[in-house]
Amino acid sequence: MERHAAERHAPVSRWGCTNVIDNGLLVQMLIGALLGVSVYLPLAAGQLSLATPAFYAVGGTLAALLSTRWAALGAGADGSFPLPSFLLELLLAGALAGLLALLVGRLVLRLQGIYLAIATIALVEIVRVAILNLPFTGGAIGIFAIPQPFATASGYLVPALALLALAGWGCQRLEGMPLGRAMAAIRDDELAARCMGIDTTATRLSAFVLSAVLAGSTGALAAHFLNTWNARQGSFDASITTLAFVILGGSRSWLGPVVGGLLLTALPELLRPVGDVRLVLFGLVILLGPVFFPRGLITPGLLERIGGRRQEAPR
Amino acid sequence: MSNSSARPTPLVGHPTALLEVQELSCRFGGLLALDRVSFSVQPGEIFGVIGPNGAGKTTLFNLISGVTPASGGAVCWRGEAITTLPPDRRNRLGVARTFQNLRLFEGLTVLENLLVALQRQPRSTALAGLLNSPRHRRAETQRLEKAWQLLEELELDRLAERQAGTLAYGDRRRLEIARALATGPALLLLDEPAAGLNPAEKEGLAALIRGLRSRHQLTLLVIEHHVPLLMRVCDRMAVLDFGVRIALGTPEQVRRDPNVIEAYLGGGA
Repeated sequence: MERHAAERHAPVSRWGCTNVIDNGLLVQMLIGALLGVSVYLPLAAGQLSLATPAFYAVGGTLAALLSTRWAALGAGADGSFPLPSFLLELLLAGALAGLLALLVGRLVLRLQGIYLAIATIALVEIVRVAILNLPFTGGAIGIFAIPQPFATASGYLVPALALLALAGWGCQRLEGMPLGRAMAAIRDDELAARCMGIDTTATRLSAFVLSAVLAGSTGALAAHFLNTWNARQGSFDASITTLAFVILGGSRSWLGPVVGGLLLTALPELLRPVGDVRLVLFGLVILLGPVFFPRGLITPGLLERIGGRRQEAPR
Repeated sequence: MSNSSARPTPLVGHPTALLEVQELSCRFGGLLALDRVSFSVQPGEIFGVIGPNGAGKTTLFNLISGVTPASGGAVCWRGEAITTLPPDRRNRLGVARTFQNLRLFEGLTVLENLLVALQRQPRSTALAGLLNSPRHRRAETQRLEKAWQLLEELELDRLAERQAGTLAYGDRRRLEIARALATGPALLLLDEPAAGLNPAEKEGLAALIRGLRSRHQLTLLVIEHHVPLLMRVCDRMAVLDFGVRIALGTPEQVRRDPNVIEAYLGGGA
């Protein structure tokens, strides 16, 4: 956790201010929210997958490699980077992560519950060790001086917000279409879902792939934003942190992990003035959150009270 | 015909039978839960399966619906073997079931339970759904219409927005039936539909089962403990005891069968 907070903090200090929620922290919070949604998607189909950091690392590494090695993308000598190339990288990173999820998912999704969680942790470790040891990923130091499509941290707010809006819109649409309903049914009772004609294997795989695509694109965005990228970006720590986003925020609606990701990413930075005690306080929040909000901060009941009753059926 | 030694020899799936069970066996470790059970169900029939506790009735349903793999024998659907198909494929062929110990999607509303089951009627692609295309909206409208028809038919329309987990027992049983019907089956397997119902609801069940057959052109296979109910409603029935089919025939034939009398009343009868 310490390691992460320090790493994430680096680019913020690059732009100077650390006292309040500045634009750099806002981007980090949005990245946290995106990763939260990525953990939420398989969970919405009843699959406890902790693989999000692996796909995040794959996406980030791809973006770091492409932008520093592939001259055709147009990285400038002054560290600038054309916006279309950046968007292309988001797509490619999402596609690569999705492809990897498609291959890995066929194997690991045979497992259920805690066994799936353990297998996905193993995947995170495999990806981390691979990135650490591959000849072209910069070893322990990683990849430096990733070119910047935006001159300031606030520039990243637009793509981060756009990606989050796209993810939220997708999750919202899912609820009103067969795939999303099949996911909800599997979460409640997989055997009954199969007996109702639902191809549960394909449904679970779809959720896993969607989660990976989102994490991969988020990784590409983060690699540029952070300016450097190394194997530690996708670690077991990150698995637990991203899971905490969903547990604190609530897993019954995609808004839960968004709120959880925003809050838990901001908290260690906001607590910085109290010194090292902040990590203890951060731990306490993760510990006490589920005690006081066992279903998370955002529950269906709360959403109903805010938004009025959702009407699905014209009578 | 009602003697276990006169079991028909295995055929290669009788073409006129909707469902045919051939020499079906299921072994759990040392326990033989089903021992070479055979019978066939004709289209439009209401076929009953009775037997004492532990006779293998639910195991038989699990084998027909694909939930449990068979240890031997075959399940034929319209003359073709479906023994190795998973439950979702069998459902898409037209086999739907309910569960004795109710397995609703409890976190979803009553209406959503039906919409889950209606997802293939009509089919629409994920992309159309994401983009909310006119075709997807038409498909959704059709799904909602079918769902409301079924809710009205099973008198669940008042409860449409309720969470399934909060329903009374009898309502849950009817929701299970509605959800199975929503998959558009040709054969409906009802696993103890009268269990836990009050006497008035039990009385209504016979009429409901007959009504379902005529309104949905269904064939029904019904497991029931409440034998008098089944005797009234079934065209034919099979009797299981310790995993063996000990009788097969019309309710009248079964009632007089010495094997059945012995199984139900003990050896002295």
